[in-house]
Amino acid sequence: MGKMRLGPLGIYTVLYLAFLYIPVLFIPLFSFNDSIYIAFPLKGFTLQHYVEMVNREPLINALFNSLKVGAVVSVVSTIFGMLAAKAFTKYRLPGTNALTAFISIPLVIPLIILGISLLTVLKAVDVPLSLFTIGLSHTVICVPFSMFVLISRLEGFDKSMEEAAQDLGETPWMTFWRVTFPLAMPGIIASLLLCFTISFDEFILAFFLGSDEPTLPLYMWSQLRFPAKLPSVLALGAVIFITSFIVVCFAEWVRRRGVQTQTGSAI
Amino acid sequence: MSDESYISIQNISKHFGSVKACDEVTFDIRQGEFFALLGPSGCGKTTLLRMLAGFEIPTYGEIYIDGQPMSLIPPYKRPVNMVFQSYAIFPHLTVAENIAFGLRKDKLPKAELDKKVDEALEMIALPGYGHRGADELSGGQRQRVALARALIKKPKVLLLDEPLGALDKKLREQMQLELRDLQREVGITFVFVTHDQEEALTMSDRIAVMAEGRTLEIEAPAPLYERPKTAFCADFLGTMNFFEGSIDNIGDGEAAIKTGDMGTMVSRGPNMDFSSGNDVLAAIRPENIEIAFDKPASGSFVEGKVRASAFLGDRAHVYVNVKGRKDPVLTAMQNLGGAASRMGDEGEHTVWLTWSEESVILLPRH
Repeated sequence: MGKMRLGPLGIYTVLYLAFLYIPVLFIPLFSFNDSIYIAFPLKGFTLQHYVEMVNREPLINALFNSLKVGAVVSVVSTIFGMLAAKAFTKYRLPGTNALTAFISIPLVIPLIILGISLLTVLKAVDVPLSLFTIGLSHTVICVPFSMFVLISRLEGFDKSMEEAAQDLGETPWMTFWRVTFPLAMPGIIASLLLCFTISFDEFILAFFLGSDEPTLPLYMWSQLRFPAKLPSVLALGAVIFITSFIVVCFAEWVRRRGVQTQTGSAI
Repeated sequence: MSDESYISIQNISKHFGSVKACDEVTFDIRQGEFFALLGPSGCGKTTLLRMLAGFEIPTYGEIYIDGQPMSLIPPYKRPVNMVFQSYAIFPHLTVAENIAFGLRKDKLPKAELDKKVDEALEMIALPGYGHRGADELSGGQRQRVALARALIKKPKVLLLDEPLGALDKKLREQMQLELRDLQREVGITFVFVTHDQEEALTMSDRIAVMAEGRTLEIEAPAPLYERPKTAFCADFLGTMNFFEGSIDNIGDGEAAIKTGDMGTMVSRGPNMDFSSGNDVLAAIRPENIEIAFDKPASGSFVEGKVRASAFLGDRAHVYVNVKGRKDPVLTAMQNLGGAASRMGDEGEHTVWLTWSEESVILLPRH
């Protein structure tokens, strides 16, 4: 490597990264600042906001609501995504393209429209709003993501693997568990993490379909009106930021390892 | 059922839309036979193999294995196992787990299972490889593991889809002999698909030559090569010089053929059931044509000039232009004492091509 030179594209890259990350880095920075106001100059180091965060019961409740919804949504979406991916990769169904497009519609409909229409339907059939309805709406938008992740994984490995398992005496059901499922594992983990993340920070649908039990984004939004409570929200933000960072790194590591085994098995 | 028809393929057809991958194929395979399905790509050989395995359902017709009709039996209940072209070694399992994959339902005690796997590893000459990962194997080793994984099930029939296609030339030649030995040792009926005529000739007891979804000839390698009955087989197995003509005179195991470019040729070869006036191809293998530098005193011969020669080390292919004929005649000569390397270049020598009348094979022309 020669000496790094900052050409026009280099400057652009630095500005881009700065724009992307500096605001995000303000969150952990101010979460340690000894003041309730988010403004420079910094006043001094404190962990007080973190203590406050842990002791604030509604905030912790909201966090657990989000974790609960996210966990259920990611598992349910991944199961549905797997079923769809299996169907699309195994059979050459008539109208496959139309079907995939149809399933991916929630990806392109504005969430606010989706939120209003789901609310209308749920009201019409008298389903009370709760964490369940939030989870339901999140599943609607997560299934297509899961399906695409899993289709690319299932298409990635040799079809004769599944045939070989049947040839060796396993029923289609056992073939799925002994061969397809373990081979699709990197895709399944990626899908779980992706769906969890989507659900965890989703605001619009939760806003329309939630009740008095808020998810974390709803709770944070409601706290913006009270300056005194903001720093503990920042503290929580910092914790989530670090956690997601670790989770994303882990997911990428799993994905790469999957790619490696795959190329390793190619002839 | 008898040993003669251990596998009986009866009137099997497989249509994919308007494409007839297999078109009313009927033949039998004997017990303990090493049987090749040979043909160019798209001839239906793989489709037929997959119907034996149960991965494709025949459009109509029936396959019997050991007397049992197979059409309602799913792949996982058939008494056959398959070695896939890609070998399909499970990448998430070790070599031992791959080999033991098909034994799950037998519920063997651990010690016995280990013993079986060890024996299988011994058989494929990979002892001690059990705990290796699938991605640590070379192409040849993968193939052996795929073989062991299938044979440990003790199938009535082992199916092999282009088993040597993924290997390099040296390894392929070695594996041809090994597969042959292994088949004799285990005594299981092997059915394998190949597009490589040399592979089919080397390994099989009998070969079914397929083209366009049909079987053309089913024969042992030597008669199939020496006495083909169709121009397609004559051409597909090895190389062949064809001379177009029509029967002038036939009888007593001898025929005179009037050809456009070689004058009158005499055949005392196989396939004499033609009558005068029939359009035929007179065919001669390159190795049955000799090159002489002096005009022969008698027999069948023709004068020509060397157009090109391809030196192949142990032998040479010499292309000779014959007056009145567009395509050169191909001859093959052994490189005895360097004879082939002295063939020289284009137009240098006037040569005489001679052949025995027994080596002229008559084939129907369509």
